[in-house]
Amino acid sequence: MFFQQLINGLNLGSAYAVIAIGYTLVFGVLNIINMAHGEIFMFGAFIGLMLVTAAGANIFVALIGAMLGGAVLGFLLEYLALRPLRRRKVTHLAPLISTIGVSIFLESLALKIWGPQTQSFPPQFEGALMDAGLFKVSMIQIVGFCTAIVLMVLLTLLLDKTKIGKAVKATSENIETAGLLGINTSRIITFTVMLASSLGAAAGVLVGLSFNAIEPTMGMTMSFKGLAVLIMGGLGNIRGAMMGGFILGIAEVFSVAYGASSYRDAVAFGIIILILFFRPEGLFSKAGKGGRP
Amino acid sequence: MDEILNGYVLQVVVFSCINIILALSVYMTLCTGQMSLGNAGFMSVGAYTSAILTMQAGLPMPAAIVLGGIMAAVVALIVGIPTTRLRGMYLAIATLGFGEVVRVLALNLKITNGALGLSGIPSMANTLGDLASDLLDVLDIDTQTGGQLLMCLVLLIVVVAILWFWRRLERSRIGRAFAAVKADEHAAELSGIPIVYYKMMSFLFSAFFAGVAGALFAHTANFISPTDFSWHKVVNALLYCVFGGSNVMWGSPLGAVILTVLPELLRDLAEYRDMLYGIMLVALMAFRPDGILSYDVLKRMTRKRPAHAVPERAAKEGDR
Repeated sequence: MFFQQLINGLNLGSAYAVIAIGYTLVFGVLNIINMAHGEIFMFGAFIGLMLVTAAGANIFVALIGAMLGGAVLGFLLEYLALRPLRRRKVTHLAPLISTIGVSIFLESLALKIWGPQTQSFPPQFEGALMDAGLFKVSMIQIVGFCTAIVLMVLLTLLLDKTKIGKAVKATSENIETAGLLGINTSRIITFTVMLASSLGAAAGVLVGLSFNAIEPTMGMTMSFKGLAVLIMGGLGNIRGAMMGGFILGIAEVFSVAYGASSYRDAVAFGIIILILFFRPEGLFSKAGKGGRP
Repeated sequence: MDEILNGYVLQVVVFSCINIILALSVYMTLCTGQMSLGNAGFMSVGAYTSAILTMQAGLPMPAAIVLGGIMAAVVALIVGIPTTRLRGMYLAIATLGFGEVVRVLALNLKITNGALGLSGIPSMANTLGDLASDLLDVLDIDTQTGGQLLMCLVLLIVVVAILWFWRRLERSRIGRAFAAVKADEHAAELSGIPIVYYKMMSFLFSAFFAGVAGALFAHTANFISPTDFSWHKVVNALLYCVFGGSNVMWGSPLGAVILTVLPELLRDLAEYRDMLYGIMLVALMAFRPDGILSYDVLKRMTRKRPAHAVPERAAKEGDR
């Protein structure tokens, strides 16, 4: 029982971590909360589903297709909703409001295209259930978990080893200095938003696969979970977001297993309040960074 | 007369009034440069509190409505205490989560009757109609229309009272402190303004009035369910405030009235409403982040009043 829940928690947590990384990346370079991230996640799930059901693609093609779709949405988001705000001096709340507008637009667009009913991947993707003695694990859980880990490793390599990744890190550290050092920060911002959105779309496919329920309103719940992880890990802290995702996933699964099943969404809220009360800079940040003045 | 006073028009007036209060509750947190995204949650707390108090405890309606607001403000303390001491977007995120949690709780608790919602909530129109039945007989209006008419009047009085209260508050010491915190938190703190205290105060006011709006909604619609207080409600309230003008108090009522009446006139576009609202939010931020009524517009409008028989230059001097 315990190990089974742990496996389920790790699986859920890997998806949360990938979502939260998207928030973290965007927060790092732009210092804003991208409220449309959850809806891009939802679009990713639907694009993956369409590729599988309508085009008959296999799951990895669907994943890549969803990531490309997510990147396109990310570009449009940056170009239409965020870039115009950077040109003029606006309050720090303006990008938040603007991305809320994008999120409500995308949600109602999805309602229009795919309808309000819950959809799911065809059953052959469920795969066989493997019995490992202490726990059972399905093929799809393994695929989902491994994909999430691979994505995180690739992202870490991208940020640490490549030139553009280092530019992203420099921009998130200090945008003016990065500009002075010859980094085209505008292009880096666009790249980061696209990267974050494609990760969000990938998470959409992973969550759609392991929970078999894709609906237009799923973005809202997920975006709140991602924000909880963002606060837990510390704003702008990518490793913190990875760890926080697993913590939230495991905490939720265990609270469902040993407590009240209908209140799993309240776990994330409780974590936010506790973290903000005792350690607002996040669990994995060095003291001195983060929200405390 | 009958055409103006039909049930439909009165209904639109009622919704406008409730939306004005909701938009003002968004504006109140914006006054200190913060943003609350939990207004639907507070509305829900107020609505369920007031409905349950009147239905099960038999409390009189006005008391229950005020208690609904107070309950929302008390609950707001849970979110407010950890977040108002921090800078940045923490309040927005925490209140967003709060709204989700309230919705989940309302869906699962027994006392809120789950997804079915509460029906048969005492109606404000009926209560007022019964109270004033003698007067309505004299005026030869039937009790139902009369009740609705009186309900509109009561709501309008409430809206005017709230507007008057906030106008007085903005011109007091508290209001100037709010403005200072909004303009620059560091500078305000250095000037000896306890910023956490004032941020908390504006947030509690916002929660209280959102709760009152919810309670009024419960007693005018007579039926509430968790879907009435979804994320869309928050986006709508935010749009009312931002569209009308988020820097001046009069923006919220203006935006709320326009965006409540306009969809009624454009029924054909109803299914595209949320899409349009989304586009409007993005476009407003890009082209006119201050909304229709900005501070400058309002100032120009008040300047033209003949009561100000001061020469232009003298008036400018006086402003300094």
